[in-house]
This record gives sequence, C-alpha cells and structure tokens, in this order.
Amino acid sequence: MSGIPSTQDLLTQACNNKIIPNQEYLLQGSILDSASDHLFQRLKGLCDNVESGPQLFNDHELCLSLRAPNQAQPLMLRVRRSLEVDAPYQLRYIGQPEFGDRTRPTLVRSSIDVGCTATVIEFLTELGCKIDYEYFSKGYMFRKGRMKITMSKILKVGKGDEALSQSQLVELSVLAPTGQDAIGEEMKAFAEQLKPLVQLEKIDYKRLGSTLP
Amino acid sequence: MSVNISIETPNENQIQEIAFDGTETYQPLPTLSESLTKCATRIDFSKSSLDDLKKEDKDGSPVDQFQPSLWPWDSVRNKLRDALTEVCVLSDVLSISREKKYLVLDPIQQEPPENKAMVQVYARKKALSQAASVLLTGAERLKASHVEQKNKTSSNFHIELLRLRQNWRLKKVSNGIIGDLSYRTAGSKFWHNGTFEVTKSEDDVETEEDSSSAPSTPTSTIPPTIKPTSAIKVNVPSELQGVAYIKVITQKDQGDLCTAKINLMGYGRNIAQQSGVWQRVLESAQNVLFCKELFNQLAREAIQLQAPIPHVVIGNQIRANLFPQIQLIISLVHTTSTDTAQTSSSNQDNDSVLEHSLHQLLREVHHKNSDHPFPQPASGPLGPSKKRMLAGPLAADRFELLEMTKSETILEQIIAQAQHTFMRKRTQYVLDTLAKDVRDPQIVSHWNAMNSPTMSCVKINIVTHGYETMHRTALLIHVKDRTLKCIGRDGRVMHLSYEPQELRDLILCQINQHQITSLLSLAKCLAWQVLSNSNHLGIGSVEPLGNASACLLSSPNGDRMIAVQLRSDTSLEARVFIAKSPRQDFFQIPLVPEKIWENLGGHFREVRFDKIEGKSFLMKMEYLMASLTSSSS
Repeated sequence: MSGIPSTQDLLTQACNNKIIPNQEYLLQGSILDSASDHLFQRLKGLCDNVESGPQLFNDHELCLSLRAPNQAQPLMLRVRRSLEVDAPYQLRYIGQPEFGDRTRPTLVRSSIDVGCTATVIEFLTELGCKIDYEYFSKGYMFRKGRMKITMSKILKVGKGDEALSQSQLVELSVLAPTGQDAIGEEMKAFAEQLKPLVQLEKIDYKRLGSTLP
Repeated sequence: MSVNISIETPNENQIQEIAFDGTETYQPLPTLSESLTKCATRIDFSKSSLDDLKKEDKDGSPVDQFQPSLWPWDSVRNKLRDALTEVCVLSDVLSISREKKYLVLDPIQQEPPENKAMVQVYARKKALSQAASVLLTGAERLKASHVEQKNKTSSNFHIELLRLRQNWRLKKVSNGIIGDLSYRTAGSKFWHNGTFEVTKSEDDVETEEDSSSAPSTPTSTIPPTIKPTSAIKVNVPSELQGVAYIKVITQKDQGDLCTAKINLMGYGRNIAQQSGVWQRVLESAQNVLFCKELFNQLAREAIQLQAPIPHVVIGNQIRANLFPQIQLIISLVHTTSTDTAQTSSSNQDNDSVLEHSLHQLLREVHHKNSDHPFPQPASGPLGPSKKRMLAGPLAADRFELLEMTKSETILEQIIAQAQHTFMRKRTQYVLDTLAKDVRDPQIVSHWNAMNSPTMSCVKINIVTHGYETMHRTALLIHVKDRTLKCIGRDGRVMHLSYEPQELRDLILCQINQHQITSLLSLAKCLAWQVLSNSNHLGIGSVEPLGNASACLLSSPNGDRMIAVQLRSDTSLEARVFIAKSPRQDFFQIPLVPEKIWENLGGHFREVRFDKIEGKSFLMKMEYLMASLTSSSS
C-alpha cells in the first residue's frame, strides 16, 4: 500500500499542481440566422486552418438534476452525445459561474468532463436524477490556438428540426487549469474582432430570468 | 579687367545738402500722409481707362506735376469739380431728351463689318491645323509611353510585387515590406523567424544603361548578356543565404554504404520562369531554413536520447550507431557559393528513400503541431486525441495510457529506417548469394512491392527444377529494423537477429528439409515404401550446423533398400547407401541358424552418388530407384 499511491492522492496532487484543466472561460453571444453566414465566413478566415474545413457537429444534450433532501440547490449534470460521429457520451458538471468585477474579461466557471458509455443515462436515473430538459445543438466549431468557437442552432427535441429561435448561439470558450487568467485577455481580443457582427459578453442567466415577468 | 568694382547700396534718403567738410545732410523720409498727397497729385481723374494712363506715362511728364501747388489737394479738387460739372450736364441732357420736346436721341446707323470669305476660310484652316498638331503630338506621346511600358513590364515594381505576393507571405510594416518564409503557418516551432525584406532595386536603371551601351562600343564582340533584372530586391538574412542540404551516410568501417541527401530545391511547381530572380533566392533560403530546422531537431534529440552507445554530435555532424561497426552519419552542409554545391552533388548519387523520409518526418512533426482533432460532442475539451477520449469509456489500463504518451523522435525513426534499409539490403544479399551458390534446389524470392519504411516482406520458395509439383517449401520472412521474423509453412515462427549468418543457416536447413520431404513424395509416386524418416538424425559425425537428416526407403517388393543421409552444411552433400535382400553372402552359423534370416537384408553399400546421371538430387534418386525397381523383377 505504501508503494503505490492511491487514486485519491494522485487526483488531489494533480489538482494542487494545477495541471487539470477544470476552469472554463466563457463568452457568449447570439446572431440572427440572416447574418450568420457573414460570421461563418469571418470565423473561417480568422481561425486556424484545418485541412478538413470547418467541423460540423450535431449533438444531443440532456440536462439532469439530482435533488438532495437537505439542499436547496439541485445538482445539475449534463449528458451529451454526438449524433454524427460514433464517439463516447460525455458527462459534464458545470459549476456556478463567477462574473467578477468589470476588469475581469470573461465569465469563469468550473467544468469537469468525463467520457462515458451509453448506459450513463440509465445509471443516472437509477441514482435518482430527473431529466430537466433536452435539446439538439447543431452547428460548426472552429479553433484558434486553444480557443474553441462554436456557432450552433438550438433545436427542439421530438419535433423534427424545429428551431427554438431565429438566431444562433455563438460561444467562445477555453478550458484551462486554475489561475490562468491571461487567457481572458486573449479571448477578449478575439471577441473584439467579431464585434460588429456579434457581441460576445459575460451573460448572467439569473439576471436574464429576473427581467422577464 | 583689373579694376575692382565696389558695390554700394543706394541711399534711401535724398541728400539735402553737402557741407564743406563733406558731411551729407539727408532729407527725412516723407510721412505717410505726405506720400499720399504726393501720389494723389499725380492722378489724372479725367483719364479713367488704363490705356490712357499708360499712354500718359509714355508721353512724358505731365506739366502739372512740377507746378508748385498752393494746396496739396488742389488739383484733386479741381478735377473732381470738373467731373461733377460733366455729370450734371449729362443728367440735364438726359432729362431733356426724356421729354422728347427739344431733343430726340436717334441711334446712329453703323456700317456693317466687311464679310471677307477668304479670310475666314484661312483663319479656320489655321485654327484647325493648330488643333490637329496638338492632337498629333499628344497621340505620339501616348504611344511612346505605351511602348516604354511594354518594354518595362518585366521590371515593373508593382507587377513584380503582385507576383511575389501570390507566392509568398508579405506584410507592410511602417514603410517597408516584410516577407515571411518560415514554416510557422504549417506548424513549425523553430526559433528562427525567417523574415526577409522587400525593397525596390536601385541598380535597375544602371543595368539597363549598361546593356544599351554595350553594343555601341566597337571593341566588344561578345553580345550583351541580358541579365534577369528585377524591380524587386529581396534581402534575405545572412544565415539563410546560400545552399544547404542534409547528407545522410551509412558507413561501415570508413567505407560508405549508401548516401542520401536532402535538398528541397526543385520541389513544387515550376514558377521560376514567370517570376524573377527573387523566386530562386527565396526558395533556396527557405530550403536552408528547413534544413537548419531539421538538423537542429535531430541534434537536440541526439543529445536527449539515451542510446546504449550514445549518439555523438560534433559541429554539423551527428553520428549514430546502427549495428556494430555500422554508423549513420547525418550532416548539415551549408555553402554560400553555388558552384561548389553543384560539383559535390554531381559526384554522389542520392538514395531517394532516406532523403524523402527525413523530409517527411519533419513535415509530420509540423502537422502534429498544427492539427488537433475537434472534440465530439462539441462541448468536450480541445486537445486530447481521439484515442485518449476513448480511454475512459473503454476502461484503458495504466499500461495503455502510458503507451499513448510515448512517441518516437525523428532521430529514432530515421535510425530505424536506416537500419531497416540496411537489413533489407543484407537479406537481399544473403538470399541472392545463396540462390547463386546452391544450384540444386532453386531458391526463388519474391519481394513484396508494398512495404512500410521499417518493414518489408519476402516470400521464399524452394523448388527442384522439373519436380515443382512434387514439393514446394515456402517460407515468409518479415524484415524489420533490427530483427527478422521467419514464418515457416507449418506455422513455426523464428526470430533472427541482424547477423546474416543466422539467415543463411536457416535457409540451408530449409533446403535440407526440402530435399528429404520431396524425396519422400517422389518415393510415394514410384511406389517405394518409406521405412523411416528423420529430420534430425542423432547419429553420425557432429555437424557444424543442426543435424543431418535421413530416410530409409524400400522397394515395392521389399528386396532393395535405400538409405539417404543429407548433411546440412554448405556442401549439402548426400550420402546414399543401398542394401539387397535376400543377401547373397548368408551363411548359416550357430548363432543365426535358420535360412529365413537371409531376407533381413545385407550390409549397406555406399553408392557413388556423384557418378549417377541426373542434374539434381531428385533426378538422381529417381534414376536410382527406377533402376533398382526394374532389376528386382
């Protein structure tokens, strides 16, 4: 037992050394369908060259929540699978977003990704999770250095290809270990280049909800 | 001529008087009002038009200018009064004429101007000819400039710049134009930035003048060489100038075995014709950059790698051991003069395989740097490979995960490839010499046309001429970088080292077995019986290699027996013995009293096998068996 350190020890050691990328730096925005082609062309020009061209994706995301008896906040988990490629399912935990003050360029939230097999939904429902909502996300993704840019259409599940809105979701995100705040500036500089077409910002969903009646 | 002329400034003030002692008293300058009055007196208001005034100046001095006036504005007043009088009279006349009682104004009939037709025609002609000449000179000038432009197209700066821009990355930095010939966009991480500067060449005009003046000189008989002039000058950093290539030599005891050279010149499509000198300059500079990066990478890896025999990096040379006494030498050759490079490249042939693979390996590294797979589903992290993403769901263990982190360096790969090349050549040599030496069973080797840089495959068939259908021994050899893997027909796998003797021994053993096995099937065809057969005969003299194989055959009616022993050394000598029953020299003795024992067969007598007719072992054996069978009836 003394020879081989336990998995728990190894994990905490890795966390302390800040080598696990568990912080997601995120900027979000949206663009109308009519203007999305302009953004597509601009991203194609700005982002890194990929031989195969812009990468298409078509994912199905399920959001599950686990309500513990003595906790007010339910635990939210997301399961995502690709409909295009035969890839493993992905289980994802996203923490509470930190907005910080105005000097902080991006939203930061903790994020943990785990690859899973297809039985993960069954496993989670057995645990007591309830499916909150689900949707299809279909669009393109781009890469610029370690930044990932996705522009996607959110589609309703079970009603063919019915879109949720007349616009597309644009996300600029980087997954990095804790304490690498320099990436925020890099993201902001990139967001500036997309400025007239799409306004990428830190979006607070709670405030968004409160403005609605 | 010799008189000095002194120049003095004129006095601004007029001299009033000169005293007797010579001092000059100057008049003070007139005040503004004084000069105004002076000027006002000179104006003649009665002559209003400019022409009159000019005339007056020419006519001479008006008299009143010198008349001493009582009052400075006196003349002005007089003239104004005259003018007023005139105006009053005019207004009176006009008012009277308006009444039309006393005065009537009639227009005066003017004489029409004379209409001279000929004068007009001449005037028009003149005007037209003038216009025509203006147009003609204009046209001529345009034509001249057009022709000039046509001649100068090759040396036009902007057109050249456009061409340069089509082939190279350029950007404008303040006043200059900076180009980039690095492989950074392709994924290179080399420290050198690989920039070059683009300027307008100044000696453009001079060279043109030179070429135009050359034929005019009567002494020069050589026609003027047209230099490929260009309006663009590219300044490549000094460390990227010249020609560079990477030389790969496989050396055995100081003797070269094979040489490969990397020289990217001449790769890509041929655009040198339509573009200027800069294309060649930039291509060679980029080539230098590539070679330097490659060598840099190799040298770094050579130091980091911990080989059993450490790699040596001296100056521009890396030495690595492939096999005992066989070395791989990779050296960077960078020359600034083009002539020496050409002579050195012509006297050595280059192995395109090693050349290509070194080139390819660095490109692969570049590609890996620039190309990362996208995550699927899209929310996944960017970076981990597809294999890594599958590791969790497929429950990969520690060993598999460790395997994923391993990657081979360029040096390791090129060493493996060089080793493989060497192994392949050695195997070829062993097989070819054996096929040449051993005539009796024929050794046919088929090399697979498709192979990887570190693995090739050869199939060996051993057959006897004329008895191909009787038996065929097949053997498959996988040639790897340091080892050989031989797969026999029975599925046995043998791993051999790089020593050529091992392969040779194996093939000899296979030949030995082939002879015995095909003899057995031949015996079956001739209805002979196989009494015993052993591939590894445990008796007899000790063989240098393996064991001798043997078999014992008996004729269809059992009266004759043949014993064959095949040695497996290089001579592949066969010893054949025959015995006959009933034995001729059977005598009843007390120990063996009965007559039946005479059928047991007698002593074996050796046949002088080399004297038997037949080209091959099998043919001789067939002849022998046939003769023994026929005699028994």
